[in-house]
Amino acid sequence: MDRASAPAPVIELEGVYKSFGETQVLHDISLGIPAGETTAIIGASGTGKSVLLKHIIGLLRPDRGAVRVFGQDVAAASERQLYALRRRMGMLFQDGALFDSLTVGQNVGFPLEHHRKALGPTERQRLVDEKLEWVGLPGFSGRGIASLSGGQRKRVGLARAIVMEPEIILFDEPNSGLDPLTSEAIDQLIIDMKRRLGITFVVISHDIVGTVKVADHIGMLYEGRLVEFGPTRQVLASTDPIVKNFLRRNLDTAWLAGLTAPGARAGS
Amino acid sequence: MIAFITGIGRFGLFLGAFARASWRRPPPPGMVMAEAYRIGVKSLPVLLIISAFVGTNLALQGYNAFAPLGGSRLVGMFVSTAGIREMAPVIAAAMIAAKAGTEMASHIAVMRIREQIDALEAMAVNPMWYLILPRLAGIVLVLPALTIVAIFATLCSAYLVTIWQLGLNGAVFLEFAREGIQGVDFLYCMTKGLVFGIIIALVACFFGFEAGRGPEGVGKATNGAVVTVSVVVVFLNYFMSELFYG
Repeated sequence: MDRASAPAPVIELEGVYKSFGETQVLHDISLGIPAGETTAIIGASGTGKSVLLKHIIGLLRPDRGAVRVFGQDVAAASERQLYALRRRMGMLFQDGALFDSLTVGQNVGFPLEHHRKALGPTERQRLVDEKLEWVGLPGFSGRGIASLSGGQRKRVGLARAIVMEPEIILFDEPNSGLDPLTSEAIDQLIIDMKRRLGITFVVISHDIVGTVKVADHIGMLYEGRLVEFGPTRQVLASTDPIVKNFLRRNLDTAWLAGLTAPGARAGS
Repeated sequence: MIAFITGIGRFGLFLGAFARASWRRPPPPGMVMAEAYRIGVKSLPVLLIISAFVGTNLALQGYNAFAPLGGSRLVGMFVSTAGIREMAPVIAAAMIAAKAGTEMASHIAVMRIREQIDALEAMAVNPMWYLILPRLAGIVLVLPALTIVAIFATLCSAYLVTIWQLGLNGAVFLEFAREGIQGVDFLYCMTKGLVFGIIIALVACFFGFEAGRGPEGVGKATNGAVVTVSVVVVFLNYFMSELFYG
C-alpha cells in the first residue's frame, strides 16, 4: 500500500519538538498515523520512541508543534477534553503498569469502574472475563498481580487497554523483557487483537522481528528525528543508510530479502 | 537555598493541581475508610507504646523538678499540661509521619517509577484525586482520634508511675492533672492533630509524586518526606502553641 491510498490519519504530529533540560529528545517530528492500521515506531533505545508515544496520549506536551488525535490538538486540550480523548484510547505500558493491590479482574475492570458506572457488577465482570479470555487468560480474574509472569502481566495490561473498546491502542515496547517464545506469543496476540477489533494500533518497539510481523506502517526514529516513515515493505527496502544499517543489525539478511521481494507480504 | 525556594514553588503548584482535581469531587468510594483503618489500626500499637513511655518520663522528670521544692503534688499538673498541650499531638503526628507518611511517600513513589501513575492518567483517572484525596481524608479522620488516644496513654502511664514508683497519692495526681487542663485544651490538641494530619498527607504525597527514577528515587522520596514532615510539624507546633496559649 502506498501513501496515497492510506486511510486518513487519526493521529497527526506536526513539527513536534521536545527537550528535557539540555537534551533534545524529539526534533521536528511530523507524521500521520492512519486509522484502522498498525503503525510501528522503531529505533534504538533512547531515541525518543516512548516520549513520542506519551505525546500522543497527552502525558507529555510538546515544546513546539502540534499533536492532533481525532483532529483535536492534545496540547491545547483542557483536562476535561484530554480525559475525553483518553477514554477513546487504551495503552499497554512496558511492564503492564498494573496495580499490585488489586486483583487481575479489578485491574482489567478499573476503567469500567470509573467510566462505565451504569454497568452493574455482573455485566462488568462479564466484560472483564471476556477480555481476559481474548488475551488467553480465562479464569485469572481472582488472581493476584504478584503471581503473574512477565508475559501474563502484558496480557493483563492488554486486557485492561481494550476493556473500554477504544478506537486507538498504544503499545509501549510490548516485547521488552520477554523470552523469545513469550515475545512471539505477544506478537501473535497483537495480530489477533487487530483482526478482532479492526482499530488503530501504534506500537513502539526496538524488536524489529516482532514489528515487521505486526506492522502495516513503520516509522524509524534516530537521535530524535524521524528518518523514515511509510508502508512496512517500503521501509524494509529503504536505501537510507541509517535505516539499512539498523535493519541489517537486527534482521537476517536472507529473511529481509524475502520480505522485500515482489509479492511477499510483511507480517506473513 | 535556590533548591528550597524551587521546592516550595513546586509544592505550591502541586497543591493547586490537587485542589483543582479534587474540588467538589467525593473521594473514590470505599477508599477513605480503608485508608483510615490502615493508618489508624496499624499505627495504634506503636503510638500506645511511645505515648505510654512519654507519660512515664514526664512523671519522673516532673517529680525530679518539683519534689526538691516541696511541690511533688504538681506532677499531675505538669504531666497534663505538657502531655496534652504539647507532647501527645506531636508524638501522634511523629508516629503517623513515620508509619503512614513514609508508606504514602514510598507507595506513590513506586507507582511513579512503575508508570502506574501514568497508567491512571492514560485511563482518564486523575491520579491526584485517586491517590491523595482518600489518604488525606483518612488521616484527617484518624489523627485527631489518635491524638486523644495518645493523651490517655500518656496520662495513664504517668498515673501508674506516680502511684507505684514515686509513691504519691493517685487522687492528688488526678486532682492536679484536672486543674492543669481545661476543656478547650482538647479542642486545641485536636486542631493540632487535624493540621498535622493535613501536613503529613500532603507533604508525603508530594514527595511520592516528585520521586526520581529507580529505587534510589523511592528512598529519597521516603526520606525527604519524613524529614520534611518532622521539621514542619515541630515548627508548626510552636506557632500553634503561641497562637493558642501565647
